[in-house]
Amino acid sequence: MGLLTQLVRGLVRGADRVSPFTSKRGPRSHNKGRGAKKLGVLTRNKKFLLVKEMVPEFVVPDLTGFKLRPYVSYRASEGSEPPMTAKQLFDELVAPRIEKDVKDGTFDPNNLEKYGFEPTQEGKLFQLFPKNYVR
Amino acid sequence: MRLSALLSAARPRLPPGYRHGMWPPDSMAARLRNPPGQRRRKVFVEPIAKDDWKVFKGDTVQVLAGKDAGKQGLVTQVVQARNWVVVEGLNTHYRYVNRAAKYSGTYIASEAPLLLSHICLVDPEDRKPTEVEWRYTEEGERVRVSLRSGRILPVPPQPRQDGIVPEQWTGEWDGRGGWGDVAGDTGTHRCPLTRTDGPKDTSEEDVLAKTYRPSLKTFEEEIMDAMGIVETRRAKKSYWY
Repeated sequence: MGLLTQLVRGLVRGADRVSPFTSKRGPRSHNKGRGAKKLGVLTRNKKFLLVKEMVPEFVVPDLTGFKLRPYVSYRASEGSEPPMTAKQLFDELVAPRIEKDVKDGTFDPNNLEKYGFEPTQEGKLFQLFPKNYVR
Repeated sequence: MRLSALLSAARPRLPPGYRHGMWPPDSMAARLRNPPGQRRRKVFVEPIAKDDWKVFKGDTVQVLAGKDAGKQGLVTQVVQARNWVVVEGLNTHYRYVNRAAKYSGTYIASEAPLLLSHICLVDPEDRKPTEVEWRYTEEGERVRVSLRSGRILPVPPQPRQDGIVPEQWTGEWDGRGGWGDVAGDTGTHRCPLTRTDGPKDTSEEDVLAKTYRPSLKTFEEEIMDAMGIVETRRAKKSYWY
């Protein structure tokens, strides 16, 4: 890059037009948010009513004596357990109970709810499909 | 430990005429010799695709030309940008290091890099130089095969990019801080925490312990049961498209 190009580069003037104009830039009167959701409703009297259900609340159980921590030591090798599948879950939890009932003769195909079958997801707090909780 | 990983991941782009040396691009020596805005005469190297590269750290190679022609040695460093390979103890010249005001310095042998064309890989059983090619095994694994005898040359285990050796990683952090506190701290970064588990690290036994108990409840439902939270309200039905 020669002397001329360097001179021309220094001559280009003006504000930064490319980067986004966030709340960190501009004068003091420039008041802008960063996209947080509103946690309530603005009434006709311009008063803001907070809706308590929209405020996120962290539910954390007591972690005393809990051994797992955020990071993992470098010495640990890869684990050997394969990821859990629906079939495996069924085989481990539901299949033994069904087999036992079939052997006793008390198996009722119309009453599968006692093995954990859910005919519909309506009425549940944490519906699996469509998923209505955030994880 | 985490900091060095972040630094290596955020590798800045090198300028187009960058001349590679034997040092990593983010070291003091490299920054001294390659200040920003420096333009040097271009060094021409034979273009070799990254996939075709055959020589790795820890390989035994035989030197074909130069002062130590005919000798075999272990590869300690590879600079792909210049087709360089540094072999331990071979092609050496002597220089003084750690010069002080009164002390002329230690006289050590330092290895000069060798070009790929002056190097030949060595068959592991024969210990004779061979030509090597990349081929695929029956299982589909890509391996280096010696053309003369057909034997596979296994690629030696490569060190991690962040310089951490898991075998040298010690156990629980005993709370001692300070720089230069850990004895034998050579090679990796200066922070002593790079060789021990920190307070936020799960120990090896805890990580590999299998404590999962399968259940039909979701994670959230189990926590609600454990904490005794009862929620009878249900969300109103809503639709999205």
